[in-house]
Amino acid sequence: MSRLKHASAALFMLLALLVLTAGCGGKPAGDAARAKSLTFSWSKDIGDLNPHLYSPSQMFAQAMVYEPLVKYAEGGKIEPCLAESWTVSADGREYTFKLRRGVKFSDGSAFDAKAAKKNFDAVLANAQRHQWLDLVNQIQDTEAVDEYTLKVVFKNAYYPALQELSLIRPLRFLGPAGFPDSGKTSEGIKKPIGTGPWVLSEYKKGEYAVFTRNEHYWGAKPKLEKVTVKVIPDGESRVLAFEKGEIDLIFGSGTISLDSFKQLRDSNKYGTMISGPMSTRTLAVNSNRGPTRDLRVRRALQHGFNKQAVIDGVFLGTEKKADTLFSPNFPYCDLGLKPLEYSVEKAGALLDEAGWIKPAGKEFREKDGVPLELELCFDSTNNIQKAVAEVMQGDLKKIGVSLKLVGEESQSYNQRQKDGNFHLIFSDTWGAPYDPHSLVSSMRVPSHADYQAQSGLPMKADIDRKIGEVLLTTDEKARRELYSQILGTLHDQAVYLPVSYQTNMAVYHKNVSGVTFSPQVNEIPLDGIDKT
Amino acid sequence: MVRYVFMRLAGLVPVLLGISLVTFILVRLVPCDPAEVYLRLSQIPPTPEMVASVRADLGLDRPLYAQYLDWLWKAAHLDFGVSFATKQPVLAEITRCFPATLQLTLASMALVLLVSLPAGILAALYKDSIFDQFSRLLAFLGASVPNFWLGFLLIYLFSLKLDLLPVLGRGTPAHLALPAATLALSYAATYTRLLRTSMLDCMSADFVLYARARGLRERLVLGRHVLKNALLPVTTAFGMSIGHMLAGSVIVENVFAWPGVGRLCVYSIFNRDYPVIQCYALIMAVIFVTCNLVVDMAYRFLDPRIRLGGGRQ
Repeated sequence: MSRLKHASAALFMLLALLVLTAGCGGKPAGDAARAKSLTFSWSKDIGDLNPHLYSPSQMFAQAMVYEPLVKYAEGGKIEPCLAESWTVSADGREYTFKLRRGVKFSDGSAFDAKAAKKNFDAVLANAQRHQWLDLVNQIQDTEAVDEYTLKVVFKNAYYPALQELSLIRPLRFLGPAGFPDSGKTSEGIKKPIGTGPWVLSEYKKGEYAVFTRNEHYWGAKPKLEKVTVKVIPDGESRVLAFEKGEIDLIFGSGTISLDSFKQLRDSNKYGTMISGPMSTRTLAVNSNRGPTRDLRVRRALQHGFNKQAVIDGVFLGTEKKADTLFSPNFPYCDLGLKPLEYSVEKAGALLDEAGWIKPAGKEFREKDGVPLELELCFDSTNNIQKAVAEVMQGDLKKIGVSLKLVGEESQSYNQRQKDGNFHLIFSDTWGAPYDPHSLVSSMRVPSHADYQAQSGLPMKADIDRKIGEVLLTTDEKARRELYSQILGTLHDQAVYLPVSYQTNMAVYHKNVSGVTFSPQVNEIPLDGIDKT
Repeated sequence: MVRYVFMRLAGLVPVLLGISLVTFILVRLVPCDPAEVYLRLSQIPPTPEMVASVRADLGLDRPLYAQYLDWLWKAAHLDFGVSFATKQPVLAEITRCFPATLQLTLASMALVLLVSLPAGILAALYKDSIFDQFSRLLAFLGASVPNFWLGFLLIYLFSLKLDLLPVLGRGTPAHLALPAATLALSYAATYTRLLRTSMLDCMSADFVLYARARGLRERLVLGRHVLKNALLPVTTAFGMSIGHMLAGSVIVENVFAWPGVGRLCVYSIFNRDYPVIQCYALIMAVIFVTCNLVVDMAYRFLDPRIRLGGGRQ
């Protein structure tokens, strides 16, 4: 019996240890400090907030702390930010920025041309890491002309320079005190010091981050005093935490399931909003593999897929039907391209014309005894892709096409995009401010699904040449004409099957006001939000 | 006894070597290059030049044997390298997350013991009673309800409807209650039934009949003879479960946003973060082997007939 007593004592000690250790975890500030405080959640930790590097830093958090020279506004319009104004030389190679006076970093130090140049230099010193971005490749030199004038010289006239300067990374500005002793931000930073409206004031890795208002901020100060970002990896848990009131706002694309969004919206207990088109959910159709080499088959797929049913049944009306690769509200994309509407008859006629005939008594079409079978590859962790794929499988069956669904984990799915090992594969556009120029530029890179899908087109070389031209021309009319030709050809060749225009979603408690969407897909406009 | 423990610990070295090699090979057999994964996570198009540059940064451009030997040498000095994804030292990442998982596991273990010991004993003593039937129902539920679903149900009931506990996160004992209960339920159900069965077997054994014939009080018979012997198989299973709980808490950690090592491991697998995966596998191997050793030692405590390593008492 004494041994049982020992066991009881051990159990008691275990419980005591638990109670003691339970207090060891972190905990964001309590209720007393919640008055002007907003809590929302993100699926990942915010990262180290190095403005000149990428993962694991989360873009929305980088955008809270750091600012660009110019910002991307509605419809692709470029507006002043840290640069009050700018001039471009006649040959399009020299940009002279007049910096905003009186701007201070969150540590109180001044933002001037010297600080700006130091940031440009740090990014250029790590140019290899940024070579994906043509902006960095095109910069030849930077010069602090005077205290508030910064000149950036490009190797060529590069028209998207201002759009790419507005990106969240890598060209935003770290305060000099945040630089490591070596000056190389590629090795890390000492502290996230920016000019933006928010300052990181408390951080527990993997659990939460607290941002407070930057009292040195040059612009209109945020209405909130504090924003807490909790790490919640699971979407359903996020919804439950929201309903309990542990978080005030759910924001973003795919942060919760569409069913949950609909349920919260229909409850009428919360505010809900859906943004305009931010990017396009599309399928790349391989023009260099099997039956989809034939333009008639590719066009038949477009006519055979009932997108509206997907919008109503899968997206529950939260996304809009997409007829073109880029939404017409993006720069250079309002081209009046004719949609390839849903029509089972047209699809059937095109397949007949291509020689894919449905033998009597058989379910699927055949040509020379070979059944018309295609593979649609999707990311098995993405429920939306799976649902869209299943609807498409049903639709194509009606026109005699056997669609095999290949769901794989994310990295294997990415590998297929790179290898071109697909007939159809999900491949979304990048959203503003990358669309259209960055995505179009990447169409020339073989490791992209876009390149693979287009690689069988007889005019691929011509498309790539025009892409090269459109990025360098300084003639606005010529640029518009080139975009029209590039996007028009891709539309006619049916190498993309656009499904829907993706949106950002916001759900918030009714004591939260001022929720809006940013034109940039990865920014959360917290500055205007208030809470009563 | 000391010699036995020493020998068992010495046996850990080849086990760890084997596991390190197998893990090293297996993670590299999975398709997709970590350099590409890093680029995609950063929303950078993985051009061949970019991939080559990142591969060089991560040290993946060297021959495999050189990578392994280098890793092994450093690991022997407790340097497990730097995480591909977070750029932080791996050991620091794991030690940051481990206390949360340990806390969750200890709480779940305590719950399992608190529930399964009395429930198992009562179910055996009152065999076929309503209590026994109820414990059987709980066992079926515990074994069949998926962890994530149970977690959501508990949140819905205790947090949303009754407003008694927080939904998620870590901080106070209240934060611990739901994840610990979620993790504990299936184990508690299993051990209740296991203890019941084991006790019933012992109750019909000859030595119990003999104890009763000697006129011992029923309490003494049950406590000293039945329960002590019935605990042997339960101890074995429980010891093995500690490792499983530590390694298998990932779903619960995800549902409750519990910042533990399971979440770190899954995140690392998705990100092909080789250094973290390798270190995690080694630590889990040490934990499993240690748990086995502790179970064997507990056997000696519970059943003196068992001689560890063949030595004399």
